[in-house]
Amino acid sequence: MSEHKIYFKFDGKTYGGNEGDTIAAALLRNNVKLVGRSFKYHRPRGIYTCGIEEPNALVQIINEHNEPNVRATVKKIYEGMVVKSQNRWPSLKRDLGSINNILSPIFSAGFYYKTFMGPKGFWKNVYEPLIRRTAGLGKPPREFRSKSIHLHHNVDIVIVGGGFSGLLAAKKLAGTNYDVLLIEREDSLGGILKNTKKIELINDQNPSDWIEKTERLIQNSRNIKVLKNTLMTTYNFSDHLIAVEDKSVGKPQDNEKPELVLHKIRTKQTILANGHIERFISFRNNDLPGVMLAASFEKYIQKYGVVPEESPVIFTNNSSTFSLVKSLVDLGHKPKAYVDVRDQKKIEKETVELLNKYNIPLYAKSEIEGCEGKNEISKVSIRVKKNEIIKIKTSMLCVSGGFNPDIHLFTQSKGLLKWDETILAFKPEKTFQNTITLGSVSGNFSYEKLIGEINKKLDFFEGINDLEIKLNINGPKKFQIKELWETNHAKKSLWSKSFIDLQNDVTTKDLKQAVLEGFNRIEHLKRFTTNSMGTDQGKISSINALGIVSKILKKSVSEVGTTIYRPPYAPLSFSAIAGRSTYEFYDPERKTPVHPWHVKHNAVFEDVGQWKRPWYFKKHNNESMEQAVQRESKQVRESAGILDGSTLGKIEIKGKDALAFVNLIYTNSFTKMKPMTARYALMLGEDGMVKDDGIVCKINDQHFLTTTTTGGAANVLAHMEEYAQTEWPNMNVYMNSITEQFSTFNISGPKARTIMSRVFNNIDFSNESFPFMTFNNFDYLNTKVRILRASFTGEPGYEIYVSPKHALTLWERIFYYSKDLDLVPYGTETMHLLRAEKGYIIVGQDTDGTVTPIDLNLNWMIGKKKKDFIGKRSLTRSDIVRSDRKQLVGLVPLNKAYGIEEGQHVIEEKNLNTPIKKPVKMLGHVTSSYFSPTLNHSVAMALIKGGNRKIGSQLYVSTSDLNVIPVEVVKPNFIDPKNERLIS
Amino acid sequence: MLLINCPYCGERDQSEFTNGGEAHVARPKDPDQVNDREWSEYVFVRANPKGIYYERWVHTHGCKKWFNAIRDTSTDEILKIYKIGETPPLIKRFKNTLRSPSGEPDVGSGNFTVKKP
Ligand SMILES: [Zn+2]
Repeated sequence: MSEHKIYFKFDGKTYGGNEGDTIAAALLRNNVKLVGRSFKYHRPRGIYTCGIEEPNALVQIINEHNEPNVRATVKKIYEGMVVKSQNRWPSLKRDLGSINNILSPIFSAGFYYKTFMGPKGFWKNVYEPLIRRTAGLGKPPREFRSKSIHLHHNVDIVIVGGGFSGLLAAKKLAGTNYDVLLIEREDSLGGILKNTKKIELINDQNPSDWIEKTERLIQNSRNIKVLKNTLMTTYNFSDHLIAVEDKSVGKPQDNEKPELVLHKIRTKQTILANGHIERFISFRNNDLPGVMLAASFEKYIQKYGVVPEESPVIFTNNSSTFSLVKSLVDLGHKPKAYVDVRDQKKIEKETVELLNKYNIPLYAKSEIEGCEGKNEISKVSIRVKKNEIIKIKTSMLCVSGGFNPDIHLFTQSKGLLKWDETILAFKPEKTFQNTITLGSVSGNFSYEKLIGEINKKLDFFEGINDLEIKLNINGPKKFQIKELWETNHAKKSLWSKSFIDLQNDVTTKDLKQAVLEGFNRIEHLKRFTTNSMGTDQGKISSINALGIVSKILKKSVSEVGTTIYRPPYAPLSFSAIAGRSTYEFYDPERKTPVHPWHVKHNAVFEDVGQWKRPWYFKKHNNESMEQAVQRESKQVRESAGILDGSTLGKIEIKGKDALAFVNLIYTNSFTKMKPMTARYALMLGEDGMVKDDGIVCKINDQHFLTTTTTGGAANVLAHMEEYAQTEWPNMNVYMNSITEQFSTFNISGPKARTIMSRVFNNIDFSNESFPFMTFNNFDYLNTKVRILRASFTGEPGYEIYVSPKHALTLWERIFYYSKDLDLVPYGTETMHLLRAEKGYIIVGQDTDGTVTPIDLNLNWMIGKKKKDFIGKRSLTRSDIVRSDRKQLVGLVPLNKAYGIEEGQHVIEEKNLNTPIKKPVKMLGHVTSSYFSPTLNHSVAMALIKGGNRKIGSQLYVSTSDLNVIPVEVVKPNFIDPKNERLIS
Repeated sequence: MLLINCPYCGERDQSEFTNGGEAHVARPKDPDQVNDREWSEYVFVRANPKGIYYERWVHTHGCKKWFNAIRDTSTDEILKIYKIGETPPLIKRFKNTLRSPSGEPDVGSGNFTVKKP
């Protein structure tokens, strides 16, 4: 271990640690025990474990954009790191929130659910402000730009865990033809060999030498790739696994390089060698700083060279704590007491001999009743006989309540578990995918049996040999345990609590109360008490909860069952999931070729799907959106306007059966339509509801061009493809998206024809030679354009289709030729206003997937003589032909000064009494509403029940300030109802 | 995430595909000849079995081709993939390949433990 000191800050104070230290190891090195406050009661909390399972020691890394809930037991320090404790106010040592501890009766099981039930007003005035201020963990991080990346792997075998079992498996597979990925979550391989004194020699070598040799062998094998600092978080269906690699362990995040890599792995076989997790025991104040799991305590000694306390008290119910005693006495330290709940005769002779040799007091058949202290332990109470408690002064208590095979990933893979009475834990029983479990995760806690297990389970791989290995094991060879979940709580005070979930502050009393209240199913109990619902998912305690509940219910643990373990195994940063898909890379931004011109002319943009469309153009900085839209739309009707419609979806349809296909896709009939003419067309779903609209241009019976709404382009093409491929696979028809192959401009208004004649001076735009809804192709400069006479504003209008390469030039030329013609560029908002004045619908605004063409009074668009088209049959279903369906109507306010709000209800009531006491009959709602500058009043469209019959009558529209305004129901065509201007 | 073997492109991640619901729901040849009930069954009603299911998929972010698949909905195992127009294999052929977790919960959800030793 290097002696190079690294300095970092914790809560404003500078501490020194060693290279390779986690925050927790460095704090323990400096004798800092208090590192946080608990979630609900604000009790002082310390470092409980030495790894990913940590429930308490969560901190915030200030210099990494405030990254919250970082496990101090995992995160490694580096020079200049700034760390802060969480959930304390105003400071860690003097925390005002700990008053909650005294108020704890109101925070008991089901607390959150109960607050919703009253008393009235309590939630708003008492509970919510209190919870918001005091509960919770870290504060949200600051905004930052993630540099994380995603990597994909396709391999034959994934080994999860580079501990003893994982290394043996890798050794067996080294040099074979299998592509192997070995995933290790820590920065070095070896696991238990490095963290404990359990194994003295492997093949007569030191474990560290053996690890080094094995690692070299793996590296030289060329078929095994090792990923360190990589946590396997997810085991999905189809042997698909996700792991997250931390690229900046022990150093500050690089500004250039990715901080996290998300590995998405496809494999044929998964070997789980991910070990076990030690569990705790519940006793009075088992949450005090100074209480630590025994194996974690030993890991600090062996891996980090930190002795958190030279003479701790050890409390166990199993044989594993031998090696902690050995680790301590080997360094010349001496535990103050060894408390074992088992009978003296049952305690392994190796342990008893070791304790005797070093004169360590053994309290057999005894248990820790509880502990005391202010901000950390000062003494522990040992119940040596039923009614006899002795107290011992100590600052640390090491606890071992047994081990759980780390079955989290195994159950994610949908494997089944079985309760094992000898180890008192769930272990894998039946795999569901191609999974092999090795070592302690499979419930095998015997190192002597490990090599046999591995040889047997990996036997089916091709080209591998049996491994032989000689082990010198320290202490008991067989794992033995006695059931103990909780010790008897002798002292009753509000401060005395026996915890089952440290992170969520759930006590064993809460469990009992929940069962008493009827929550005796484990999944219900979990949610009611929030037990094991923290970010640690109860890794050291959830099985203990099952044990306690099974005792209350007088059932076996197996019958109580486990809750489901869900991915991820441990929290991972959103930045890892997001990868590069942030900001401008989150979703592509699509811009038309004229975009730079729009920017230059102060366009304010609106997102339509992925497109950036001009919403309106600001004439000057002080012009509001409302003013701009009124100006633009007035100018279109008085002179002319131009809209960049390049975003409209465009689809080319070709083939011998193109006509028949288009006839089936759209409601209209295209058979008698002449070549080079166009038609406004509707597309329905098979349910008869309007799906999209657009213009269909017929070049000839084998060649059509259609437009779609901007947002609907991809869906419409997919819809056509689906029918062409699955319903009518024998039709000769092909579709292609040509949205980006053509830029489209709409010029409309009384002066549109003059402008067109000037720009294209060789084309005759007279009504006779270029009538409404016809189109043609023309040479223009050194390109071609297609011009269609159509309009979405009700004014005479032309649509120009041009290659994107020439689009900007053409757009600028149009303005050049219109200098004296008052041509205005307008955006989508003005387009919406102009079309609403004409009663033209927008699919998705005036329709919502429940509206038929009949409801829209667009019956004229239905080719009734056609034998079939998609949705046709549905239009005669009994529900569709009801006359009281919601139908599209126009609304005009009786008092022209009033505006109608979009989305408001249309009702018959003249008055709305506030507060509203009885239900108000809703006729429908306002779908579109604008103030028309041409008419000088509001015009609106609405879908209302039996609307057609209500034309001419008076109804009311609610307002957002709970008033109503009277409106007249009219036909939805407010300007030029006879379409004289349109075809002029 | 499933691994789907597109008959045109080969094995690809599920995220490239879109599920198209039940397969072999024939569109009535002459819609005008069926009554409201028959038509609405075609439009709205789909089977939702636990077990073997014929369904359609489309390789949306790939070749954009539609194809059929037979999937066991209780295990998510895709048992067969075949092109549009090919004769669907009989369900009987797949009866024995069910690999549903035997200890699935009898009460409530999520008790993924083996009940009987
Ligand atoms: Zn494909």
